[in-house]
Amino acid sequence: KMATLVPDGSSWHLILKETADQWNKLSGGRVTVRLFAGGVAGDDPDVVRKMRLGTLQAGLLTSVGVAEVDKSVYALGIPLMFRSYEEVYHVLERMRPRLEASLEAKGFVVLNWADGGWVHFFAQKPVATPDDLRALKLFTWAGDPKSVEVWRSAGFNPVPLPATEISTALQTGLVNALGCPPQVAVISQYYNHARNMTDLPWQLLLGATLINKATWERIPAEVRPALLESARSAGARLQAEIRKSGARDVEAMRKRGLNVVPLDDRTRALWQQTAESLYPRVRGAIVPADAFDEAQRLRDEYRKQAGASATQSAP
Amino acid sequence: MSPAAALRRVERAVLVAGLVALALLPLVDALGRPAGLFVPGGAAWVQQLTLWLAFVGGLAAAGEGKHLTLSTAELFGPRLRRAGHVLAAAVSAATVATMTYASLRLLAVQRAEGKVLAGGIPEWASEAIMPVALGLMALRFAWGAGAEWRPRLVALAAIPLAFALGATASGLLDQGSAAWLVALILAALVLGTPVFVGMAALALLFFLKDGAALGDDPGTSVSAVLAEVFRLISSPTLPAIPLLTGCGYVLAESGASARLLRFFRALLGFLPGGLAVIVIAVCALFTTFTGGSGVTIIALGGLVYPMLRADGYPEGFSLGLVTAAGSLGLLFPPSLPVILYSVVAGTREQNVPADGLYLAGLLPGALMIAMVAAYAIRVGARVQTRRQAFSWAELGRATWESKWELSLPPLVVGLFASGWLSMVETAAAALAYAIAIECFFTRDLHPLRSLPAALVKSSVLTGSVLILLSAAMGITSYIVDAQIPEQLVAWVRTHIHSPILFLLALNALLIVVGCLVDIFSAIVVLAPLIAPMGAAFGVDPVHQGVIFLANLELGFLTPPVGLNLYLSSSRFGKPLTEVTRHALPFLLIMAAGVLVITYIPGLSVGVLRALGR
Ligand code: NA
Ligand code: NA
Repeated sequence: KMATLVPDGSSWHLILKETADQWNKLSGGRVTVRLFAGGVAGDDPDVVRKMRLGTLQAGLLTSVGVAEVDKSVYALGIPLMFRSYEEVYHVLERMRPRLEASLEAKGFVVLNWADGGWVHFFAQKPVATPDDLRALKLFTWAGDPKSVEVWRSAGFNPVPLPATEISTALQTGLVNALGCPPQVAVISQYYNHARNMTDLPWQLLLGATLINKATWERIPAEVRPALLESARSAGARLQAEIRKSGARDVEAMRKRGLNVVPLDDRTRALWQQTAESLYPRVRGAIVPADAFDEAQRLRDEYRKQAGASATQSAP
Repeated sequence: MSPAAALRRVERAVLVAGLVALALLPLVDALGRPAGLFVPGGAAWVQQLTLWLAFVGGLAAAGEGKHLTLSTAELFGPRLRRAGHVLAAAVSAATVATMTYASLRLLAVQRAEGKVLAGGIPEWASEAIMPVALGLMALRFAWGAGAEWRPRLVALAAIPLAFALGATASGLLDQGSAAWLVALILAALVLGTPVFVGMAALALLFFLKDGAALGDDPGTSVSAVLAEVFRLISSPTLPAIPLLTGCGYVLAESGASARLLRFFRALLGFLPGGLAVIVIAVCALFTTFTGGSGVTIIALGGLVYPMLRADGYPEGFSLGLVTAAGSLGLLFPPSLPVILYSVVAGTREQNVPADGLYLAGLLPGALMIAMVAAYAIRVGARVQTRRQAFSWAELGRATWESKWELSLPPLVVGLFASGWLSMVETAAAALAYAIAIECFFTRDLHPLRSLPAALVKSSVLTGSVLILLSAAMGITSYIVDAQIPEQLVAWVRTHIHSPILFLLALNALLIVVGCLVDIFSAIVVLAPLIAPMGAAFGVDPVHQGVIFLANLELGFLTPPVGLNLYLSSSRFGKPLTEVTRHALPFLLIMAAGVLVITYIPGLSVGVLRALGR
């Protein structure tokens, strides 16, 4: 039994269904996957709880769900730490062995990694600079009091609420800005009430498929590599799908009246400064310090390599 | 003081303190917001307080016999009734003991998670209230088996028996023995086992049976039910239920009913059925905000029912009206089910915008309300409810007298709609305001002598209702887990080929599912399955959404398991059979309304077209 927040009937859901069928075939009918999409089995923390209880065996989770097991995963979602998919996945590739070992020690096996796209700010007024956002009431998840404090410390105006109240709160004006990936803004129609999107990829919403270790080990050992391979390829297809749909979703929203606020280099630098001023509070309180440092080191290493190869090929 | 009496005192103290704290925390957040102040980790504490209120309230309800039962036991002779009572107590004790065990498994998982609440208290330590309250409840059920030791011991003995059965489930639970156990549970229900116990027992049994077929550990299977209970009670908007119920009780225990009745009489007393129409409108407005979770009945019922009776409406009609009015208003903004439907049913290819659904739902929603109101006016005219000539002077006096109560709805709606307060904060403000006006302005309630009693009464009801809701969630989750809705849809898909038949089948399917499953699960599970089918038959997606939601309103009233019937029966202490009978005329009227909405698409999409969308 596998649960996910991915909406029933979406292209991601189709990929999951195909993979489920593949697993059945590859295992000669010994493994049957029952999918519970659209959050019917609960929010991510509910799914992780049920996986620990054993009433669910697997879940495609966002980093919020994975962090229920190990907070190190938040290192891949530090605001403005990464500029591109390539950077995030380079760092993830290097951190994976440690992350996956730690998750496995806590009873979960990682089948694949994927993401839900880049979080952007959607607001009722155009937001170009950090000060524009400071003037608004920003949704923050009530389940995460630490990030409320981080926002507040930097002079922002976070309003902690349950995610289920976002729609109503945007309509009543209790909040007038939120961060979410374009895909989520389309599906949940938040953009109807927050019609300005800042062109700033704030952080990547990472996700992973986890399976209960005990269940995984109940699958005959000779079948596992093929299943893992199938899951990995599904992860790659999920990543490709989200990269394709990101631009498409923004375009669709633009046609229905979304205003994309462009940023120049100066405002981009302002945002970078603001995000970096948050790092000392993020490190330790939200992202474990060692994971934070490692992510930063690996990113710098990647930029140096990329820069080196760029200068080499440039002459 | 005997241990039992001491336990009762502790329960009452916890219920009063818990409800007061539950109101204060969100209020501090709301008042501090302009200054940037908030209670760090307050949301987690609000959830814990709700958990405590649910379980301690449920325990208190078991002590006072306040859990809803089917009350069919009176049909039997005294000897059979005594024996039946022992059986019912045994099944209750065994089921709740199994839930205690399952909650311990859940607690172990929470402990391993190692979350800590603000103030340094580990979450699991606070959540230990689940096994403690459930364990005491099991003992209480066994103790209540009779006045002597023999029946009590018999009921107590059922506990190890159930555990032995559960532990060997894989060997015993084939189709045949499961059928016997279902029969036993149904018999116990008829003989007086609380409804929540019956639901939980069925859910436990079904999960055990399915788990056994997959080779799962029986302990894991039973914990699925508790995981669902926990999920419901820790859901973020749930704290609104105890708060709004508390508000309703404070008003009902004071003289508010009499003052409001005088005001409504002065306003509409010249019309036949005037009061009933007001009740319908107020309930619909309330449901719009609470999202049709049945809160309307428990929060407002106690206030408006006595008003209807005092105005001369028959008991049965009043009961039916309050029960049915709790599910009107689901289609109007800002009702949450509409937003959820739009989110779930919309796809990349086919958008079902929430604002479109709200617009399309205006006339259908108004039609349902008008049909029920027309019936109420007819009854009002027939039974000659009290009428009085209209007088500006009397209206002025009555308005002045009830100014405090009348100021509550605009204040609360205003605070919410202007974006000052969130849903839970609004509920907290409503309770705090009700307490303030009844204790300090009208002085109907003494803050120390009579207010605590009102809060305890409301919390005991909340406890029994939350436990009932969560047991229903246990069944819902089994239905989802066994993929029963998918099977129903598959059947429709193979057997139905005409659009008219499709719509009719849709009506029937939604009524069945609507009464089995809570509205949010029904939307999440069914909407994505049905939306493409409707598109294939050429049904407008927005029209289909309106049909979908209007139909679910009916499910709340459909016997034998419509949720509002149970809530109403709990709230008014009336047998379920009686509530069902009195709700029937309303059910038929609303069913006619749904048919009209279904087959005249112009009512819903017509508004959209007229607005050029
Ligand atoms: Na609502
Ligand atoms: Na229902």
